[in-house]
Amino acid sequence: MRYVLLAAAVLTTLAAALLLGPANVPFGDLLASPIVWQLRLPRAVLAFLVGGALGVSGVGLQALVRNPLADPFLLGLSGGAGLGAVVAIAFHLPGPWALPLAAFVGAVGAMALVYRLGLMSGAELDPRILLLGGVAVGAFAAAITTALVSLAEATELRNAFLWLWGGFSGASWTTVLVILVYAPLPLVVLFAAARPLDLLALGDEPAQYLGADVRRLKRLVYLSASLLTAAAVAVAGVIGFVGLIVPHVCRLLWGRLHRTLFPTAFLAGGVLLAAADTLARTVVAPRELPVGIVTALLGVPLFAFLLRRWTVS
Amino acid sequence: MQRTHLAGFVALTITACARGEHVPVRGGIAVTDDAGRRVTLAAPARRIVSLLPSFTEILFAIGAGDRLVGRTTWCDYPPEALAVPSVGDGMPPSVEAVAARRPDLVVLYRAGPNVTAAAQLERLGIRTVLLDLNLLEQLGPAARRLGVLTGHSRAADSLVHVLDNLASQPAAPSTRSLAFIVWDNPPIVIGAGSYLDRLAALAGARNVFHDVGAPSAQVSIETIAARDPDFVALLSDSAVPPRYAMRPEWRVVRAVRDARFLFLPGQLFGRPGPRAAEAIRELRRRLEAAR
Amino acid sequence: MDRELIVAVGDLTCRYPGAPRDALVGVSLDVRSGEFHALLGPNGSGKTTLLRAALGLVRPARGRAEILGRPASVWSRRDLARVVGVVPQREENLFPQRVHETVLLGRYPHLSLFGGVRAADRAAVERALVACDAVDLADRWLWTLSGGEYQRVRLARALAQEPRLLVLDEPTASLDLRHEMELFELVRALVDRHGLAALMITHHVNLAARFVDQVLILAEGHAVARGAPVDVLTRETAAAVFQWPVVISAFDGRPQMIPLRKKENHP
Repeated sequence: MRYVLLAAAVLTTLAAALLLGPANVPFGDLLASPIVWQLRLPRAVLAFLVGGALGVSGVGLQALVRNPLADPFLLGLSGGAGLGAVVAIAFHLPGPWALPLAAFVGAVGAMALVYRLGLMSGAELDPRILLLGGVAVGAFAAAITTALVSLAEATELRNAFLWLWGGFSGASWTTVLVILVYAPLPLVVLFAAARPLDLLALGDEPAQYLGADVRRLKRLVYLSASLLTAAAVAVAGVIGFVGLIVPHVCRLLWGRLHRTLFPTAFLAGGVLLAAADTLARTVVAPRELPVGIVTALLGVPLFAFLLRRWTVS
Repeated sequence: MQRTHLAGFVALTITACARGEHVPVRGGIAVTDDAGRRVTLAAPARRIVSLLPSFTEILFAIGAGDRLVGRTTWCDYPPEALAVPSVGDGMPPSVEAVAARRPDLVVLYRAGPNVTAAAQLERLGIRTVLLDLNLLEQLGPAARRLGVLTGHSRAADSLVHVLDNLASQPAAPSTRSLAFIVWDNPPIVIGAGSYLDRLAALAGARNVFHDVGAPSAQVSIETIAARDPDFVALLSDSAVPPRYAMRPEWRVVRAVRDARFLFLPGQLFGRPGPRAAEAIRELRRRLEAAR
Repeated sequence: MDRELIVAVGDLTCRYPGAPRDALVGVSLDVRSGEFHALLGPNGSGKTTLLRAALGLVRPARGRAEILGRPASVWSRRDLARVVGVVPQREENLFPQRVHETVLLGRYPHLSLFGGVRAADRAAVERALVACDAVDLADRWLWTLSGGEYQRVRLARALAQEPRLLVLDEPTASLDLRHEMELFELVRALVDRHGLAALMITHHVNLAARFVDQVLILAEGHAVARGAPVDVLTRETAAAVFQWPVVISAFDGRPQMIPLRKKENHP
């Protein structure tokens, strides 16, 4: 039953994203309209893919750090991405891909730094080191970002921050293609790690006794989840809450086994973000809200509702 | 000699009172600035630092350009301004650099960091005046007060007259529509309550985002396409199409697809200034030419 | 009867990185199928280290550790989990789960990467629950179980791995008398009836002496004595290892250690 509802939610959200918008596209013209094909459809697909990536990444990282409050951006990735974006704008890096690439490089740089910290003195990606390292790296990146901002041109940097707060206004088929080519590998790696991640919840040593190669598992999960998040940021800025809330919602509805959790988190994350984007561009029309605000406004009450139902039952 | 002085003094008093400014006794000067402060000078300012290109332009336009001892790096008009030493980019102003010029008046644009800088300069004993300059309507009052502060009121008056007239003109009947796009990712457009919006209206071009109350707002490409402006206006000193012009999602907007861009030079259009009338004429000319 | 050698540890020496001294020095141990071994010794004597080294989690500085004739370091964790089932001393429990889900985790070493749970797996889970007398607990939430029930469930999980060797690290630490006896009886029965090998780390010397076939006593990383309980558990050995005066008396043919009170408190 829940699966049916999920499928229905996917279809409804995508349909709404295609049908709703400031331009009045008559129903009969939908298939032919360039507004639908060049603007609404790639935007809806991209929002769905990014939401799915963030949902899956959240599941993986929460399992990795054994902390249900972990969000993909907790590990310093958003700070790194922000720094990359600001560098691209402050130094006027050329080309339309300069900003996303710089954000991606920044995020990956932060990931590498936290990874390195997590391996220090044989810590073997200890969850506490990862979390603390993530906070430290994020703060460090934010400090450099602030320094750059204080030294550079005001208006351009305001626009950089608007980009950073998240949005799909730049969605295009090219961007969708990039994600479609890039995302499957980390997604497959994470899905293959589903059963070992169930074991990891018991602790490193018990997981090893039950057959999980914990060292390899942690590295693969960390790398895959971080790469997915970095790609999401590069394409859509920093969109919080999805990676935090979606795993919880899915756990409440479908249990904690990762074989079910990963696919449902992908779909649920896609639904949440596509719906949030549709709201972001229709609620205060003709203006737009940053998507990250809408995901927070949507996600938190939804989570509270589900939590209440679960504790009552 | 004394009678001329007296006549001048009386005239000054009357005109000053007519505009609601107070004139203290014994030949001093005072204006109220836009931060509500009363700025008083014993004599017209002789050494002025201007921290906004528009103020620099106004000062030159009212004949007080020779009094300038400091400007920002962005103050590039008129060409004579370039001879004045620069005190940095002014965002925020370097208090030390400004003080080093030993000014008796510093003119600042009223915004957060500048208010702090003004307080710091006042503590050093340097007079400062904070003026708003976001809208067309604010040009006249700014020019007027600068005229008073520099003792060039008469020269300022004619400029003030032109600017006030311009500001009170109704919008010209619009024959074309446009959208000002200042950023592409995310798309940011200019709305009502901004200088550019007013210029467009006076030049006979309807800003399709005039209904948006804020000076600038984030919108989606679809909204721009839906409103279908005849032109996309952007601040650019060259005629090179913007980087987003070739992207398929932007080409859903008719004006982008047909390359109907209005490249408006930043120096003339980017900031409210005494050449506002010239800007409007220039805009009107380009709209006609693109027909 | 030729019993198969499951674990063979020879002259093992281990040191943790950054530690001042060796955790294990020259320890040897052979565990065959159908044998119940106990690993005894005071805290910090290296019992858990021996376990980790035997199962390839810690690399020895010297000596060898072999499972079924192959070095422990060569085994993949997955393959090893199909031979050795461990009930660790501690584990975390982040999310609520039911008993049958927990026991099913023991089947994971047998599941293929993308394959599903098969009937054979469910049957193995059922058998494990039966063997541990935990069938009626199957649908209960873990957090509702008593200490004894929880340990039985964890043992069932290890049994679901269908191992040749069961390893238990202080499984009765917080159990009351009844549950402790039940656990020892259960492991003894598994060894006798199913031919499993069992290795238990425990502080309960007397129960170990009653139930097991072989005892290895460690002290400060050294093997102090190894053999049948009656041969190993003498007054001198026990007093030296546990650093407390004891007397040994026999019960049911097995030595039982009785600690003496301090003379000044007991006139």
